[in-house]
Amino acid sequence: MSSVRRMAPILAAGAAGALAVVASAADPPDIGVLLQHLARAAPATTPFVEVHFSPLLSRPLIVSGELTYSGPDALGRTVDKPYSEHTEIKGDQVSVVRGNGKPRTFSLQRAPELKTLLSSFTALLGGNREQLEQDFTLSVSGDDAHWGLGLTPRDKRISERVTRITVTGEGGSPRCMTTDAPDGSVTVMLMEAAAQSDLPRDIDRAALAKVCR
Amino acid sequence: MRGSARLTALLWLALLAGAGLIIHHSLRISGDLRLFMPTPRDAVGRLLLQEVSEGPAAKLLLLSIQGAAPEALAATSQKLAAALRADPAFGFVSNGEQRLDMVPDALLPYRYLLSPTLDTNHLDASYLREQLQEREQDLASPAGTLLTPLLPRDPTLELLKVLESWEPAHQAQQLFDVWFNPAGNAALLIVQTRGAGFDPAGQQLAIATLRRRFDAVRGTSAMQLTVTGPGAFAVIMQGRSEADARVAAVCDSVGMVLLMLLAYRSPRRVFLGALPLATAGVCGLGAVAALFSTVHGITIAFGFTLTGVALDYPIYLFSNEQPGVRPLVVARTVWPTLATAVAAVCIAYLAFLFSGVLGLAQLATFNIAGLAAAGLCARYLLPRLLPVGTRDHGTGLLPSALVNVVGRLPPMPWLAPAIAVIGLGVVIGLRTPWWDNDLGHLTPVPEPLLRQYETLQQDLGSPDVRYLLALRAPTPDALLTREEALSKQLDGLIGRHVIGGYDLASRYLPSAAVQRRRQAALPDAATLKADLAKAASGMAFRADLFGPFLADVARARTLPPLTVQTVAGTPLALTVGALLQERDGGWTGLVTFTDVRQPRALAALATGSAGAIELLDLKQAAEDLVANQRQRILGSMAVAFVLLVVVVAVTCRSLRRMVRVVTPMALSALTTLAILHAAGVALNLFHLIALVLAAGLGLDYGLFLERAGREPAAHRRAVHAVTICATAACVVFAVLGSSTLPVLRSIGITVVLGVASNFVLAQLLIRRQSP
Repeated sequence: MSSVRRMAPILAAGAAGALAVVASAADPPDIGVLLQHLARAAPATTPFVEVHFSPLLSRPLIVSGELTYSGPDALGRTVDKPYSEHTEIKGDQVSVVRGNGKPRTFSLQRAPELKTLLSSFTALLGGNREQLEQDFTLSVSGDDAHWGLGLTPRDKRISERVTRITVTGEGGSPRCMTTDAPDGSVTVMLMEAAAQSDLPRDIDRAALAKVCR
Repeated sequence: MRGSARLTALLWLALLAGAGLIIHHSLRISGDLRLFMPTPRDAVGRLLLQEVSEGPAAKLLLLSIQGAAPEALAATSQKLAAALRADPAFGFVSNGEQRLDMVPDALLPYRYLLSPTLDTNHLDASYLREQLQEREQDLASPAGTLLTPLLPRDPTLELLKVLESWEPAHQAQQLFDVWFNPAGNAALLIVQTRGAGFDPAGQQLAIATLRRRFDAVRGTSAMQLTVTGPGAFAVIMQGRSEADARVAAVCDSVGMVLLMLLAYRSPRRVFLGALPLATAGVCGLGAVAALFSTVHGITIAFGFTLTGVALDYPIYLFSNEQPGVRPLVVARTVWPTLATAVAAVCIAYLAFLFSGVLGLAQLATFNIAGLAAAGLCARYLLPRLLPVGTRDHGTGLLPSALVNVVGRLPPMPWLAPAIAVIGLGVVIGLRTPWWDNDLGHLTPVPEPLLRQYETLQQDLGSPDVRYLLALRAPTPDALLTREEALSKQLDGLIGRHVIGGYDLASRYLPSAAVQRRRQAALPDAATLKADLAKAASGMAFRADLFGPFLADVARARTLPPLTVQTVAGTPLALTVGALLQERDGGWTGLVTFTDVRQPRALAALATGSAGAIELLDLKQAAEDLVANQRQRILGSMAVAFVLLVVVVAVTCRSLRRMVRVVTPMALSALTTLAILHAAGVALNLFHLIALVLAAGLGLDYGLFLERAGREPAAHRRAVHAVTICATAACVVFAVLGSSTLPVLRSIGITVVLGVASNFVLAQLLIRRQSP
């Protein structure tokens, strides 16, 4: 029963995707329109689920919590399952508190490529296409109903940390943001409706790709 | 006769040139500043001088790269550092990059012996589980990918803990992974050269290599590299003194030729006037090269400067020529005076031979040999080369006018006492600082360069250079054990805000006992494997992931403890070597500090240790050294003065005449001192040397005028000689006074003041006595 419930949205999404491909094979989605879909007015809060695949791990690590976007260069990431961790980024300052531990703070000045990644994330949320295109080559796939937006870093320093970011979505809302790292690890963040999906503990990448579709 | 004279002159020149060449080849010039510093009498002084000239700090070059966006600067900094690390001319290169290869592969298993983790924890199932949970959370964090390469070998991140504990208490800010200045517009690097800091040739080579590497990594960008540090100073100073010396040589030569032509209207005398000077230079240099193994570059420069006195001798000879009198007769007549002048100066210089300052002893040797040779040259060689005189220089316009003016002045018996009183009044009365006690000022480096160096040092967070603690022990391990005990006390001082932070060798290299204790706490292979399996059960890590970790711990259990000897050749050796040194048959450990707020509390710590720990105040030690050196120089000067007075009194065979000769010279020294003091100049070694030179010249003037006796014609010839001598000295030293180097400038100005004062006072005080 529960597995059927889990499968239902995936099936539905698959069906919708098939329809969409038929409907607009000659009509790829417009980047501007996609960015409109992604843009959020600050402050905005959204639940997320993150699935981390790593060559060191036999199964993925799954954490969930809430993302807060409070304007350009200001982000919060709170993990509440399976442990609690709060990361706060304001300008150049990052502070991380894990459990009841002491907050650790460091400056993004020390790692400017992280700063670029962060500002592209906020550029995505702010709908700032100009800034995004400064740091990434943008590409689109799919159609208006089931789309994918690819971001490939232009700068070598950034591509040493991140080889590609892919945002997939359905209609007017994003579902997943997939980040590929050069060491083979992949992080998939499920947002909005997708964050509600119930994932198996040992989900593999193919199954997850279907959730994100 | 003319032909044979020319031949003699040419032969002499050839002889000088030959001797010069031989000396040039056998001379070993050193840039070691210690030659000009006094021999230290205590351990602190020895340590200070060692640190100054050959300590690790003396080999450090601080680099700053500017002129582009921070990111581009950082990239260049990384490329330059990589290029320099591969270059054998450089020992260690640091630009702030966190480099895991700080600990080479062979030392990696030692991390459990170097990290304090095992002092409070055991590598058991519960500790490992706690650590692995942390690692899972790290992997699920946005920075997780950074850990991927480390985790299989080091799940407790011990290496990072070790590197963290090695980080300096204060360091430069980091942008794009490398050090930057606070303004964020210059990337900073520290480079250690293999060559000694004060070896200008070696440093020049290293800096040239540095610039070549920089140009290669810079490409077409407009970035600039600034190199500063003791070695860079040595190179700059050499370049500048050479450039200044070239300019001065040209100006002086032109000035001298013009002056001599004007005075004697004979090109031949211009040429002959230079012969004693050249002879003095070659003989002086030869004597120093023969008696000392190495000669300081400054000795040579100052030596040639001080032999300028030798110019007085031919001038005195030429000025005393008379129409129809054979030069040999003239030479015989002036010889007693000339001999007195030469002997007095040479005997006075003997005092410097025993000053205890090697550079001064070399200077004295140079001058005694040089001036004696010049005097003999003026007496025995020149007369054979000179044609018979055709004019009496005393009848010229200048000496006549001078004699007239001075003759019309009323007698001034009050002049000497008045000058003495005013001079002493200024010298004693004005409360400006007397002496310049800064050891740094004995490095003839211009202020702006020093300031640039200090700024970079501050930007890089270098430790306070004033206070140090020194510990001694027979073996390095005993020393490290003591340092570990001391660390606990020092941590207390940080808590009480006495100091901001400290650094010592045991922070990097724990004692063997501590390493063995940590080693004993490591579990055996089977236990660790079982505990790790228990800890990782139910977690997401791959089953066989931590094989490298198990292997490292197994190796760490059997390793012999790391020692000063075994870290040799690793990057750690440089850090440890700077803080732990073998010296005088024992081992000395140094503790450096950042931000010493209460030196007294540190002093109390040292006193409380019953002699085990010594507080070194390097600033105080440096000032003591300089003051001690000055005392010796002043002592030598006093002895020299007494010797000079005795020689003059003996040769004059009259106390009264001796007083007449010496008074203008003594008063001129006082006047020069008073003027410098009133102008707020704090005196250092170089002023004192200049005073000695001016006094030597003044002695000549006094002797020349006094010896002329009562005959008006002889007096006028003496006035001519003294006028030309003083003008020549003023020309030479005015050129020196316009140098860009503060040292040369202060010497030039002091000598010009002294010579002018000597000239005027000699004219006024040694008037022709009416018959």
